[in-house]
Amino acid sequence: MYLSGAAHIGQAVAGLWPELAGGGGLSAVAGSGLLAALPDWRVLVQSPTTWGLVCGAVALVLMLPRGSAVARVLGGVVGLVALGLLAAGQPLLSDWLAQGLFWILAGVTVLSAAAAVAMRSAVYAAVWFAMSLLGTGSLFLLQGASFLGVATVVVYAGAIVVTFLFVIMLAQPEGHATYDRLTWGWYAKPVSVLAAALMVAVLTTALPGIRQIDALAALGESGAVERSAGVLHPSHMARFGAELFSRELVSVEVAGTLLLVALVGAIAIMIQGRRQAQAEESAR
Amino acid sequence: MTTAALIEILVKVILLLGGVMTAAAYFVLLERRMAAWVQDRVGPNRVGIPLTRIRIFGLGQPLADGVKFIMKEEYTPAHVDKRMYVLAPIVILVAALTVFAVIPFGSVLPVDLGIEGLSEPIRLVVAPGMDVAVFVIFGLSSIAVYGVILGGWASNNKYSFLGALRSSAQLIAYELPLGLGILGVVVAAGSLDLEAIISAQATSGWWFILAQPLGCVVFVVAAFAEAARLPFDLPECEQELIGGYHTEYSGIKLLLFLVAEFLHMITAAFLIVILFLGGWHFWGLTGAGEQVGLVQAVLRVMVLSGKVFLVILLFMLIRWSWPRFRFDQLMALAWKVMLPLGLVNLVSVAILDQLRTAWQLDAWWSNPLLIAANWGICLLAWIVVAYAQPLIADNRPQQELELYDVDPQV
Repeated sequence: MYLSGAAHIGQAVAGLWPELAGGGGLSAVAGSGLLAALPDWRVLVQSPTTWGLVCGAVALVLMLPRGSAVARVLGGVVGLVALGLLAAGQPLLSDWLAQGLFWILAGVTVLSAAAAVAMRSAVYAAVWFAMSLLGTGSLFLLQGASFLGVATVVVYAGAIVVTFLFVIMLAQPEGHATYDRLTWGWYAKPVSVLAAALMVAVLTTALPGIRQIDALAALGESGAVERSAGVLHPSHMARFGAELFSRELVSVEVAGTLLLVALVGAIAIMIQGRRQAQAEESAR
Repeated sequence: MTTAALIEILVKVILLLGGVMTAAAYFVLLERRMAAWVQDRVGPNRVGIPLTRIRIFGLGQPLADGVKFIMKEEYTPAHVDKRMYVLAPIVILVAALTVFAVIPFGSVLPVDLGIEGLSEPIRLVVAPGMDVAVFVIFGLSSIAVYGVILGGWASNNKYSFLGALRSSAQLIAYELPLGLGILGVVVAAGSLDLEAIISAQATSGWWFILAQPLGCVVFVVAAFAEAARLPFDLPECEQELIGGYHTEYSGIKLLLFLVAEFLHMITAAFLIVILFLGGWHFWGLTGAGEQVGLVQAVLRVMVLSGKVFLVILLFMLIRWSWPRFRFDQLMALAWKVMLPLGLVNLVSVAILDQLRTAWQLDAWWSNPLLIAANWGICLLAWIVVAYAQPLIADNRPQQELELYDVDPQV
C-alpha cells in the first residue's frame, strides 16, 4: 500500500513538473519510492508554491498565541505573502464568476483556518474553525459535490463544533484559559507547524494537474463526461446512497456500531456517577 | 453561466427576500391582532397612512415598528464581548434567509421572454434542481444554533446564558425527530429535492399527511420546537428569562433576532406544506405535470401561499392555546415519545414501500390498501407509546424531593 502511494505521488510529481519528466529523470524512477520520486531541487526552488508553503509555516509559528504582539503582526504580514505566493502558483479559470467565487471561498477558508490556530480565546478559535468548515463546504459545492459540501457543514460545523463551543462555554465562561495553551516544551509548536506544512506540501503535489492549464484542458473532455456521470448526474444522491449501502455497507455498519458503543459508554458512565452520588448520600 | 441566467437568479433572490421580509413584518401584526382576539382585546389598529387620519385596520403598524427599532438607542452593555455580540444576530439572520434559496415558492412559470440563455420555463425556486435541498435546510438550521449560543454567551448575563443553553439542548434534541419525519417522506418520494417531493405527491394525488400521519405529527411537533414557538419557547420564555438569549440586545440587533425567529416559523410552515400537504398541488385545480398554462402556474403559487398562510395561522393559534412545557417534559417528549414514533413511521414506510415493489402492486386499490396498513401500524404505535408514557397533566415536579438538597425554608 505504501508502495502504491509512493507510485501515485511519483506520477503526480511527474504531472506537476513536466520538464523534469521530459528529461527522463523522473518517469524512470517513478514508483520506486517516495524519496526517488521527489523532484529536482531546481524545480522546487523555482516554484512559488514551495516558497508559499515555507512562508506559511513561518507565519503560523509567529502568529501562535502567547507570542508577542509584534511577532503576531509580522506573522500576519508573512502569512499574506504566503497566500499571494500560493495563489500565484494556481492557473486562472476561464469563467470570471467561478474564478472570483473560488478566490473568495479559498481565501476565507485558509484565513479562517489560520485564525482558528492563532486566536487566544478558545471560543473565537472554535468560531473561526466553523467559518473555515463553511468555506470548505462551499468549495465542495463549487466543484459540484453538493452532498459532500452540505455533509461537511451538517456534520462538522453543525454538530461537532457546536458541541465544542458548548463545552468551552460551560468549562470557561470567560473564554480564556492558560492551561489550554500549555504544550510539552518549546519544540512542540515548531514541530507541529512543520508537520502541517509538510502535509499540505504532500497533498499539493499529490493532486495531479492542479497547476497545468494544458493538462486540465486535455482532461476537460473526459473529465466532463466523468463528472456528468458522477457528481453532476441528476440522481447523484440516489446513486451515492446505493453505493454507500451496497459496496461500503460494512464500513457504514462499523461506523454506526462505533457510535452506538460510544453512546452506551456515555450512559454507563452517567449511571455509575449517579450510583456513587447515591452511595455518598446514604453514607452521610 | 450566462449573464441572463445570473440576472434571473438575482431577480428571484430580490423578489423572494422582499416578499419574505414583508411577510414577516405583516405576520408580526397578524400575531398581535390574533393575540388581542384570543385575549379579548382590540390590538394595534391605529397606525395607518402617515400624516393622515386614515387608519386602514392598523396596516401601517409594521412600518412604524421597523422605524421604531431602527431609531431606538442602540445600547451596548459594557460587560459584553463586543465582536461576538455583533456577530450573533448576523449569523442567525443569514442562516434563516439562506434557507429560502432551496425552498420552492411555486411550480414553474411558462413564459418565454425571448432572452437568450434563460432557462424556459422559469422554475420558481432560487436554486432549482438542488439534489440535496432537504439536507441544505438541515445544515442551515444547525448553523442558526450558533447565533443563539454566541448571543447568549457574548451577553455575559445569566439569563441569556441559560436561554442559550436550553436552546442548544432543545434544538439538538429535536433535530432527530425532525430528521426522522423528513426521512419517511424522502423514502416515499425517492428524492431529497423538494420539487421532486411535491411532484411525487401531485402525481399520486395522495398527500403525505394521508400516507404517513405519524410522520406528519412527529415532524410538525419537531418543527414547532425547532422554530422555538410556544409551547416550545424555552430559549426565550419572556416570563422567566425575560427574553433569554436576546435579553441584552436592543435596537436593530434585537430586530434581527426577532425577524430571524419569524423567518424560522415561515420556513417551518413552508416545509410542513411542501413535505406533507402536497406543496402547490390541489385536487382538480392545479394539475400535476410540468406542462402548465399561465393560469395554472399562478394558481399553483396561490395554492402554495394559501396553505402556508393557514399553517402559520395554526402556529399562532397554538401559541395562545397551549402552556409552555417544563424542561424535563420537553426532553421526555423528544426522546421517549417523538423519537420512537418517528422510527416506527420510518420503518413501516420503508417496509410497505418494499412490499409495493416486491409484489408489484399497481392496481387502483393498492395505494389505499398500503395507506390503510400504515394507518393501522401508526395507531398501534401511538397506543403503545401512550401507555408507556401516559400524559401527565399535573405540572408539579414528580421526583422525590429527598434525593435533593432542599432548603426546608423554601
